Amino acid sequence: MSRAVIPFTTQAAALGVALALPAFVGANSYALFVATQLGIYIIAAIGLNLLAGYAGQVSLGHAAFVAIGAYSVALLTVDHHWPFWAAAVVGMVLAAGLGVLAALPAFRLNTWYFAFITLAFALVFEKMIVEWRWLTKGFAGVVGVPPPSAFGYEFGPRPLYYTVVAVTVIAFILVRNVVHSRFGRAFVAVRDVEPAALAVGASPQRTKLVAFVISAALAGIAGAFFAVQKTVVTPDDFTADFSIFFLLTVVLGGLGTLWGPIIGALVFFLIPELLAGLQSWRMLIYGGMLLGLMLFAPHGLYGALRQAWRRFAPSPAKASAAADSSHAREHPPIAGLGLVISGLRKQFGGVQALDGVDLSVPAGSCYAIVGPNGSGKTTLLNLASGYYVPDAGSVKIGDVEALGSGAQRIAARGVGRTFQTPRLIADLTALDNVMLGAYTRERAGLLSTALRLPFARAEARRLRQEALGFLQFVGVADRADIEAGEIPHGQQRLIEIARAMMGGARLILLDEPAAGLSMSELERLERLIMRICGLGATIVIVEHHLDLVANVATHVTVLDRGTVLAAGKPAAVFNDERVMRAYMGERALKAGVPA
Amino acid sequence: MDIDVLAHGIVAGSLYALVAVSFNILYRPTNVFNFAQGELVMLGAMIFASLTSLAGMPWLVAFAGTLVAVGCIGLVEERIAVAPILARSQTGTGWVITTLATSLIISNLVGRFWGPDPILVKPPALLSMDSLDIGASRISSYEIALVLVTLVLVAIVERVYRTLKGKAVMAVAEDREAALLRGIDPGSLGRWSFFLGAAFAAMTGVLAAPILYASTSLGPDLLLKGFAAAAVGSIGNNRGALIAGYVIGVTEAVGASLLSPGYQEAVIFIVVLAVLLLKPEGLFGSPNARTV
Amino acid sequence: MKATVSLPLLSATNVDAGYGHVRVLESVSIDVRQGRIVVLVGRNGAGKSTLLRALSGLNRPTAGKVTFDGRDITTARPNAIVDAGLLHVAEGRRLFRRQSVADNIELGRYALRLTEQEHDRRVDRIHQLFPILQEKMNLPAGSLSGGQQQMLAIAQAMMREPKLLMLDEPSLGLAPVLVDQVFAAILALRAQGVAILLVEQLVEHALEIADDAYVMQNGRVIASGPAAEIAAGDALQAAFMGEHGAPHHPEPRQSGS
Repeated sequence: MSRAVIPFTTQAAALGVALALPAFVGANSYALFVATQLGIYIIAAIGLNLLAGYAGQVSLGHAAFVAIGAYSVALLTVDHHWPFWAAAVVGMVLAAGLGVLAALPAFRLNTWYFAFITLAFALVFEKMIVEWRWLTKGFAGVVGVPPPSAFGYEFGPRPLYYTVVAVTVIAFILVRNVVHSRFGRAFVAVRDVEPAALAVGASPQRTKLVAFVISAALAGIAGAFFAVQKTVVTPDDFTADFSIFFLLTVVLGGLGTLWGPIIGALVFFLIPELLAGLQSWRMLIYGGMLLGLMLFAPHGLYGALRQAWRRFAPSPAKASAAADSSHAREHPPIAGLGLVISGLRKQFGGVQALDGVDLSVPAGSCYAIVGPNGSGKTTLLNLASGYYVPDAGSVKIGDVEALGSGAQRIAARGVGRTFQTPRLIADLTALDNVMLGAYTRERAGLLSTALRLPFARAEARRLRQEALGFLQFVGVADRADIEAGEIPHGQQRLIEIARAMMGGARLILLDEPAAGLSMSELERLERLIMRICGLGATIVIVEHHLDLVANVATHVTVLDRGTVLAAGKPAAVFNDERVMRAYMGERALKAGVPA
Repeated sequence: MDIDVLAHGIVAGSLYALVAVSFNILYRPTNVFNFAQGELVMLGAMIFASLTSLAGMPWLVAFAGTLVAVGCIGLVEERIAVAPILARSQTGTGWVITTLATSLIISNLVGRFWGPDPILVKPPALLSMDSLDIGASRISSYEIALVLVTLVLVAIVERVYRTLKGKAVMAVAEDREAALLRGIDPGSLGRWSFFLGAAFAAMTGVLAAPILYASTSLGPDLLLKGFAAAAVGSIGNNRGALIAGYVIGVTEAVGASLLSPGYQEAVIFIVVLAVLLLKPEGLFGSPNARTV
Repeated sequence: MKATVSLPLLSATNVDAGYGHVRVLESVSIDVRQGRIVVLVGRNGAGKSTLLRALSGLNRPTAGKVTFDGRDITTARPNAIVDAGLLHVAEGRRLFRRQSVADNIELGRYALRLTEQEHDRRVDRIHQLFPILQEKMNLPAGSLSGGQQQMLAIAQAMMREPKLLMLDEPSLGLAPVLVDQVFAAILALRAQGVAILLVEQLVEHALEIADDAYVMQNGRVIASGPAAEIAAGDALQAAFMGEHGAPHHPEPRQSGS
């Protein structure tokens, strides 16, 4: 992920201005009121950006989650005299909980279902606020929300402002930490390349859920402050327009950039002041802006800034410092996992892709599967790694039956794989792509990651070193800081292998790793495969390049039209008549085999 | 259950089914679910109301004019808000935001031109909104006609999909690139579908106007209920949309009669969530096996 | 007919093409003359399919020039290229699996105005060449076997009576007897004057029926010439088998019988 363009000094200055503001304006001034409100909106926008920008789930009903926080605080403090802090926590939990209940079915479906369901949720919630008069006081709203207090001291506008600033900064830092952690990498993977997320053991559903929970909780806390700042909470505060406003804030600042929501909210607060006379045109302007931004500046103001910055100050071609700092280490041995497949069948419509395949891959072997195109090799790999469900048969990984487990659970069991076309996340650096591989291995949970607890930090550091080690192991350490989309095809394959190894894979499935490689790359690949096998890992390689297979494989199975044609040691198998026939056609045989 | 509640559920459900079908028309070749669809329905109702009630045009002329006008707006939407986004990425969901923006623009522009007051639209000659008191139900001749017309329209749309153009649309939906290799131009089919989908939405608005009045508030409501019918009936399945429309309409009517009208949306929302949770593809779709 | 024997029907000159940042083809030039079968051979990943995609407009060339039947089609849209008579049957057939065999055949003539007689004549011709399809007209295409699917894919293209038919791995996953049928169909099409550009993994078999051949490796053409010469030459072995050749692997020494 590209690091902040905004230099540290600017960040510090922005914070300084924010902290110094109350010194220059009156405690009851409009400016302080607006500044507090700005902070509240930024909190919600940061959450929405995490969800929409990083995890790719556009929420069109964010106002509802803010409303849940606001109403929780208003009702609990006014009617039940709860302290603000406890009520705020309830608001957060309720916002996240109700949101998850509503959005649960959407996580399994296309992303736009989520957009629709959040939109509908907001609409229904708005109606319910009015309907449940006994609870919410209907249109009149809840009035007289008391300010927060601590140790008997009641917060005036200034302390409230400072509290909001503090929460904003904390929210920013927590979200930044999450974005730069395995969770953030998984968000982007799920957004851009779902099969890659599955391959590293990250469940797309759970990943989207995590992003949503954080996002809704932040909206809830924003709502809590919203209630105490305005002291009155009414249904009119949380209309569909309010949701659009948040979305526009994030799109304006830049979807999927850390500073986007802050820049967006700042600009947004200036615009209404400038366009005060155009109040009645507001929603029309919002619509026009959303459309224009998506068409001409999909990465918002921050993206435009970054582009301009790069043009004027092109980053010096950084020979990755990381590469030199870590010295080549030998990797500890890997305890390979065996793979036993029996009676595997898979049919696609009228085509029997696999018709009862048996094969047994001993632990620690380098096992090649060859055969003409269309013989079912890739189908076999996709079945073994859980991407397809077979019609019949069994797949045992180690001693455990893997059939019926999803792809990400099989991955978590120590099965790594690569794809025929490398599936790297183009927006992440090579290093981040490799670190994504460790997704299931990382112990630090969401909370300790967000708080950067010492052990989480130590783990992150260790994994970073390890990832660099793997990049070095596959021979592309000099690419560590380059975005994967910019890296040549051949090296992408190597990075994909590093990602699989990073996941602690004990069984690695390689799908045509040699396709499209140059001669020199091919030699590197060959050495690499032998070294990985040398460490003890089991490798299953589907490959056309018979030279490569002959050199690296200890066992070969030949598939032809979905059945096993021959199996055994490479030398013996390649001498088999039937194999030649499958490869070369009937006439090759008649022509005679060289002695 | 009260027969009257059921009848009105079917009437409302017919409208939801029509909105769902208009979603499907647009969705099939483009994979875009138009968030401005509700506003296109509203626009149809408003333009038609203006042409008949205010300008005094004959029913048929106004009807045709409305369809063409809204169809063109759909086409403009496709050109400006959808095609550039799809050109950037065939799989991205940027169009969620751009079609939503389109809906904001349409609804606010319409609001400025027409104002918030609903316009009464009379049913075409021979039909009326007066209750007929057939048995226990108080349904009007127009409402009966609407239910029948809906059935006919769904049948017509299904027939269109059996023409070569219709089959080409299904081909694009299944495999866009393979369609390209057969000389099918997905771009042109996408533009046609936006035109026809928008015109169909406008027609829904025209048909809804005598019952719901023409007003700017029509959009969001029909957007969500149309989506509910499309999702429950399986996206892309028009017959499914018809039945799901009835399900949604009746659920809504029953919910409102048992609870309070304020719960209408909540009841529908819960039904949709429950269906999607149990059958993510909707009630009438089968999970399509895909080979990669 | 515009194209004469001296002028190739299809001519690609110094074509570059790829996907996103990845360049796959580097300065590839090939010619296909009318009524000839030209085979492209090379290992997986050598760029054969990418070349076909570049020619049919799916992956627009980033450099170079493609002319077909006297027209520059380098930047033409896929449907315009199809209309010009250059058809591409993609790898894996890419049928519309949920639609019937009859509908698939009909889609083959999409946007083409045919008289009823002409339409029936073409369908008859398809049924003559692939009688099995006639029995399956009302079944979904997805329910066909691999061989029948390949026949249907070719049948779709035949509805347009193409001048040049590009076939990407027609033997994919087929039993030998079906491969023979498909190859026989290819020969029959040539006999009708259709030029064929064939990508085929059954190299030996393909070289036997081909007139001309190109050998591709790492996105370049490394050898070209009459199929018989290519079959006998070293370039093929280098590109397809690797320099050393798999241990005791049959070497495609001999030309067609």
